[in-house]
Amino acid sequence: MSNNRFCEELTALLPRLRRFARGLTHDAADADDLCQQTVERALKSRQQWQDGTRLDAWVYRIMRNQWIDEVRARTRRSQTFALEEEGVNVGNAGDRDAENLVELGNVGRALTRLPDEQREAVMLVLVEGFSYKEAAEIIGVPQGTLTSRLGRGREALMRELGETA
Amino acid sequence: MSVTTEDLMAFADGELSGAEADRVADAIAADPELAARLDSERRLRAVLRGALEPITREPVPESLTLMIAAAAAEETEQDMIDTPPASARKSASPGPPARILDFSAARAQRQAKARAAKEASQPLPRRWGTGAAIAASLVLGLMVGTQFTGTGAVSEKDGALVASGALARGLDTQLASSEPGALRILSSFRRQGGDYCRVYDGGTNSGIACKQNGDWVLERTLAGGKRETGEYRQAGSAASELMAAAQEMAAGEPLDAAQERAARVDGWRK
Repeated sequence: MSNNRFCEELTALLPRLRRFARGLTHDAADADDLCQQTVERALKSRQQWQDGTRLDAWVYRIMRNQWIDEVRARTRRSQTFALEEEGVNVGNAGDRDAENLVELGNVGRALTRLPDEQREAVMLVLVEGFSYKEAAEIIGVPQGTLTSRLGRGREALMRELGETA
Repeated sequence: MSVTTEDLMAFADGELSGAEADRVADAIAADPELAARLDSERRLRAVLRGALEPITREPVPESLTLMIAAAAAEETEQDMIDTPPASARKSASPGPPARILDFSAARAQRQAKARAAKEASQPLPRRWGTGAAIAASLVLGLMVGTQFTGTGAVSEKDGALVASGALARGLDTQLASSEPGALRILSSFRRQGGDYCRVYDGGTNSGIACKQNGDWVLERTLAGGKRETGEYRQAGSAASELMAAAQEMAAGEPLDAAQERAARVDGWRK
């Protein structure tokens, strides 16, 4: 694929990427930052993309890994932080979550309660429509692991959303 | 063999095929309870997509599209350097569509760079808000006629000054923050009533032109170069005067890059 095609397809992917980012981060500002970093990374490493494979799966994988790194870095930071200023950090995180819950309604609320690994499986398959195989490749786990995460996430959502789902 | 929850999930996700899919489909057809569970599986997917779908309809931040456009432009430049036979390039006359593509890509690149250097050089504001106070001390609308009429850039029509020649062409085709040249477009906006107007700096003169009945009528003009005293006008001061005047004329914010392009496509018709 020519570079221009690559750039065109990447641009066309942006609305979906933003949705996936929102699902991963459940925070609009984080999602924007994540998109920015993902696009930067994708452009920088575009030579590594294999022509003939799905561009969306490749970019989702970049986004997902980028987010994992961010979460790890934050966890490290908040651990340090919690030692210094116990409690404060927790309160802030709570407020911020509450805001974002309102934005996406009860579905968003149910999604945020899922463990990260279940949420990403749910996002990739049930929302983004990737096959189990593709989703497993994006996350980098065997397909069986993917389906079991998906199954647990799905069950939790059904319980939580009850009649609406 | 019974149908497990996993089977049902896989069926709903379209993961089953052939005999396996048939088996589950038959079981569902024969068992209303299974059918109801399949229904909830599908409802869950619909509910999730329904809740998240609006995000895909939000406008994508320009920073993202610009970043990609800038990368596309860079690579295109690289391609041009890498493509060896310069003579072949010359003889192959580039068609108009390719030129437009290159321009917009290059423009995006410049914008991205300009954004990065924003604070350093303090470029003209894309949004209103600064410099309104300066407007009070201005005398705009001088320079009527004498200097421009007959030079080909400005002509008179029904008692109004209208752009002609290169100025008219530039107003029609150039975008704000387009490549530097004889004419710079500082901003584009719509005034009350919907006419498109453009703030331009043509070197020897600058002003605000509004498209009316197919002509760029010059609503404001300012001498761009020397003043009567012979002193050079401080760089940028004419521009900020005009921007302040434009702000007063405008109905709302100036056009963003996409709106400007769209207006150009429509020939600046309101």
